[in-house]
Amino acid sequence: MNDVLAAVLEALAVLTYVALNAFVLIWLERKIAGHIQRRIGPLRVGGPGGSLQSLADGIKLFSKEDFRPGGRDGIIWWLAPLVSMTPAVMVFIAIPFGQHLIIHDMNIGLIYITSITSFGLLGVFMAGWGSNNKYSLLGAMRAGAQLFSYEIPAILSTIGVVLAAGSLSLETIVAKQSAHWFLFPQILGFIVFYVAILAETNRTPFDLAEAESELVGGYFTEYSGIRWAMFPFAEYGTLFTGCALATTLFLGGWHGPLFLPGWVWFLIKTYILVFIAMWIRWTLPRVRIDQLMDLGWKFLIPLSLINILGTGAYIALVR
Amino acid sequence: MASTSTTAGEQAPGLQSQLMTLNLGPQHPSTHGVLRVVVTLDGEEVVEAQPDIGYLHRNFEKIVEGWALPGVVPFSDRNDYLAAIANEVCVCDAIETLGEVELPDRAKWLRVLFAELQRIISHELWYGAFGMDLGAFTPFLYGFRDRETGYLLMEKATGARMLYAYNRIGGLRNDVTDAWLKELEGYLDFMEKQAFPEYMKLLIENEIFVMRTKGTGQLTREQAIAWGASGPVLRSTGLPWDLRKKRPYLVYDQLEFDVPTGTNGDNYDRAMVRMLEIKESIKIIRQVLRRLPDGPVLAKARAAVRPRVGEYYARQESPRGEVGVHLVSNGRPNAYRLKWRAPTFSHLQLVPLMCRGVKMADMIANLGSLDIVMGEVDR
Amino acid sequence: MSLPRTVWNTVKSLVVGHAVTAREIATRPITVFYPEEKPEFPTGSRSVPVLKVNEESGYINCTSCGLCERTCPPGCIEITQAVDPATNKKKPWPHLYTLDLSHCMVCNLCVEACPFDALEMLDVPELATYQVQDLKFHKEQLLDLWKTGKAIRIAEGQPMPSK
Repeated sequence: MNDVLAAVLEALAVLTYVALNAFVLIWLERKIAGHIQRRIGPLRVGGPGGSLQSLADGIKLFSKEDFRPGGRDGIIWWLAPLVSMTPAVMVFIAIPFGQHLIIHDMNIGLIYITSITSFGLLGVFMAGWGSNNKYSLLGAMRAGAQLFSYEIPAILSTIGVVLAAGSLSLETIVAKQSAHWFLFPQILGFIVFYVAILAETNRTPFDLAEAESELVGGYFTEYSGIRWAMFPFAEYGTLFTGCALATTLFLGGWHGPLFLPGWVWFLIKTYILVFIAMWIRWTLPRVRIDQLMDLGWKFLIPLSLINILGTGAYIALVR
Repeated sequence: MASTSTTAGEQAPGLQSQLMTLNLGPQHPSTHGVLRVVVTLDGEEVVEAQPDIGYLHRNFEKIVEGWALPGVVPFSDRNDYLAAIANEVCVCDAIETLGEVELPDRAKWLRVLFAELQRIISHELWYGAFGMDLGAFTPFLYGFRDRETGYLLMEKATGARMLYAYNRIGGLRNDVTDAWLKELEGYLDFMEKQAFPEYMKLLIENEIFVMRTKGTGQLTREQAIAWGASGPVLRSTGLPWDLRKKRPYLVYDQLEFDVPTGTNGDNYDRAMVRMLEIKESIKIIRQVLRRLPDGPVLAKARAAVRPRVGEYYARQESPRGEVGVHLVSNGRPNAYRLKWRAPTFSHLQLVPLMCRGVKMADMIANLGSLDIVMGEVDR
Repeated sequence: MSLPRTVWNTVKSLVVGHAVTAREIATRPITVFYPEEKPEFPTGSRSVPVLKVNEESGYINCTSCGLCERTCPPGCIEITQAVDPATNKKKPWPHLYTLDLSHCMVCNLCVEACPFDALEMLDVPELATYQVQDLKFHKEQLLDLWKTGKAIRIAEGQPMPSK
């Protein structure tokens, strides 16, 4: 009984955090976009700098008409937002926010996360297929090709970290970085991982699945209201977990030079990575689908293999 | 819905793939107004793209047949609403030639000044919109930021932001002050020193942009000529055809400027030609500012404009290409027939040619690089 | 181009691009909070032609000659001349003067055509209404507008007054 209660409480805590985080990130993104573009962004709703804008948007989205496209593939269309959101939430379980601030430290934590994030693709593809819309279908096709080809470099680039740490448990990986971060011998791995995260979260320059100027809204063209809201929710959740994972694997997790609590350091590093992702989004144009594939298969995968080789050689020589 | 014909590509036995017909527009984020393109897709690849125009038709040519000629000038603003001055100057040229109205010197120079300022503003908007077509949103707002400053200048001089109604038959409605000319100089400095390098760094020199645009939407010189292309689209193929040089009007023969050309006729060249044209326009305006003569800006015998019987084709270089007005007059105060030649109308016919076999994303880029204004296409 | 060169060019162009946006973050926004904070409209921006009251006589200058009605390209001005009911003679002022702003091009041609200095261009930028019929202004409304707005009548060929 206690186990069940604990599990429910944990799930609630994670959901609350994911929701809050998405609200903050959406507000942050709009603010950053605004200031990059010499605007101000949200301003009128709530406290300083319109910080309650996301909440107001959430209320609006909840109260909107539940529009369902004709000719949809009923259950698939209905399930798609849930399927794309669930993995974004599930990943939070295995992320070490602080020394003992982790919900479940699995000894296969890294494998768990990489396998769970791959599920996100399923939701995207279901949305594209179930909507009975050509833009959605094209978006889903692109997303399928894109997520699949960027999952591989992402996983390959983490292998160097696993080699160096000798463990798949994320807490152990962070603990091993107390002396020096894995970033410095494995800068290639970090770059590959970060680019792969950008591609997996469908952000510019890899936002082909949404591609506003080409596909209107991509796979979520036909969704509105709270169903639509689940997609950005999942997107920002995945962005955060991706950056958190990068922090864990390459940037020393909760380790920091100053006397701040570990989780503060972790959040600072993660949000800096998130900020860079947003900065990139509002600067670069979008790549084309074949260029995206080229970058993934011909460039990032060899690069991550070089990274593995280098790390292996380094370990063999040092030990 | 999807058509039922099968593709010609190789297929596994038993599998069948279908072509997909996609209605792009008239409401679509990147159709530059209300253009509808019927696209036949084989997966990501465009098999055929057929533009369908007419959603913004306002019956310009027929309406102005019933109007006295002075009223045609403000109405012509609405054709190419992003380069209204170019329309006005062209239609005024036609009417003034047939009406035998002599332009004062200062009006000629000021018309050149405004036409070139308009070219800068129009290319700024194009820069932003093209960035947007390629998925970069920020250049759009930078383009708009500087365009807004330009429009404010226009408003200070002409009294309106976009549809100026500034040219009159025989000159300009009002003069500009010295303070305004000073302000304009400041704008040119800002464009040259800050905005233009920023445009180049942010988008045009970006490697992703270069990758996306080099070699896509390629046109040969023969194709461009055969389909009636003009302006930057024609010049990007390497032909330095600029009416300001080849058929000088107003005072362009007294000005020094270069005609930027491309070599490959692809999207990148078109972008570069437009960006360099901004520089050339700045150069022209600086010369005008230096040499602007004093005097009246409006000819005296303006009220009684009654064109002689005959016809005249006035053509000028608008930011988008050759804009032309064929005016047929039977001596009455209104036009017997006024035919408007819109450069982007011709450019739009290139879309099926340019988009055959390209990726969907490139099709949008091709459309954007032609710089289409639907107000002018549909008239 | 060799691969290292391509990579170098790519990295360089990406860094340069991000430097541009980073500099823009640091600069001040250029937007104005419109309803609370009004932007400064330049003098001379046209928005609506209105009838003008003569400062000395206190009457409108319009003699109902109909020149503006004939000049207006889209035909948005409609004038009915006043008639003395007793003598059935036409009077030199308008009984009805209607301006349909929804058709108006704000081209200033009517103001230029008027020989009696009876029309003036105003710079009242906020004229939006919920109903298109509300943009049809009658004589009294035009006079009211004239009282609220700032007139910008400039002689032809003269420079616009600058701030």
